[in-house]
Amino acid sequence: METVYIDKHADLVNECRNGSRKAQFEIYKLYATAMYNVALRIVNDDAEAEDVLQEAFLDAFNRIADFRQETTFGLWLKQIVINRSINYLRKRKMETVSVDEVDVPDEPTPDFEETHLKVEAIKSAMAELPDGYRVVLSLYLFEGYDHEEIAHILKITENTSRTQYMRAKRKLNSLLVTKGVAR
Amino acid sequence: MSNKLEGFVKDNKREFEVKGPSDVLWSKIEAELDKKKPVKKTFGMYQWMSIAAMLVLTVGVYFGYQYQRTSAEILVADVNPGMGKKEVRFTSLIEEKRDSLQTLAGADPELYKQFIADMGKLDNDYQELKKQLQTSPNKGLVGKAMMKNLEIQLQMISQQLYIINQVNQYKKEEKTI
Repeated sequence: METVYIDKHADLVNECRNGSRKAQFEIYKLYATAMYNVALRIVNDDAEAEDVLQEAFLDAFNRIADFRQETTFGLWLKQIVINRSINYLRKRKMETVSVDEVDVPDEPTPDFEETHLKVEAIKSAMAELPDGYRVVLSLYLFEGYDHEEIAHILKITENTSRTQYMRAKRKLNSLLVTKGVAR
Repeated sequence: MSNKLEGFVKDNKREFEVKGPSDVLWSKIEAELDKKKPVKKTFGMYQWMSIAAMLVLTVGVYFGYQYQRTSAEILVADVNPGMGKKEVRFTSLIEEKRDSLQTLAGADPELYKQFIADMGKLDNDYQELKKQLQTSPNKGLVGKAMMKNLEIQLQMISQQLYIINQVNQYKKEEKTI
């Protein structure tokens, strides 16, 4: 969903460059949900995800002159969102001692549709993961970055990214088992 | 086992992203954009203007300082107008005599060289005194010393002129005899 290509929205982006509020709103509508989820998966907190989103959109609109069409607008925006999310996470890490004790959201309400059930289970299991695991997992699994890119974003080695991902997945799977969701 | 997870996420990506940000978020962003935009536009002009102003100011300060430095040099005339007049008279007299000394000195370059060296020493002292005048608390005294120095220079050059005249005359007499 979020890999919407710039060719589709080049006109909108150009209007944004000229400061058109209408175009900005259109862009916002196009990307808000996807970007919100990108942020939410990293910061694991609704309010913070919204803060990240607000800052990221403002940043993107104010710096739109810097955006060269080397990449798609969506990928560019996603990069801003991810960087800001990680900053939030780092700030929080300094404030709290234990990162493992994240709030566990309410158990998902039972749904008759199996896929939906599984989606909710994975979401809540991810919310229970430690920050480090969750970030690597979400960047790899959801944002489609490879380990080289993740290493670059998080300033860790590629190997660390790989092992973190393996452990994260193992942990997630065991959480899913305890939730009674078949893998 | 694990590839199942990746596949599932890939296939159901949309399912994971049902919930979006709250509806008020856009209005917050809009408010921030409104706050920033007019500021940013005028800021561009302000920036240029301030750069220009800074440039003018820097150049102004630089030249002003330079001008002040040259005009701030204290002259003897500032300390005492009488001394100023005296200085002008002495220096012009010295200059005059130096010229005639030069024309007369052709016959004896060795002697002339020595005269110039002696005058140079005195003149150095004079320049030194001029420097002291800028900072000295007792400017009157320094001014007096400068006048004395000029007087000695004048006396000396008169003496030199006299000597060189004598020498020239002696040489002439020697020839006629």
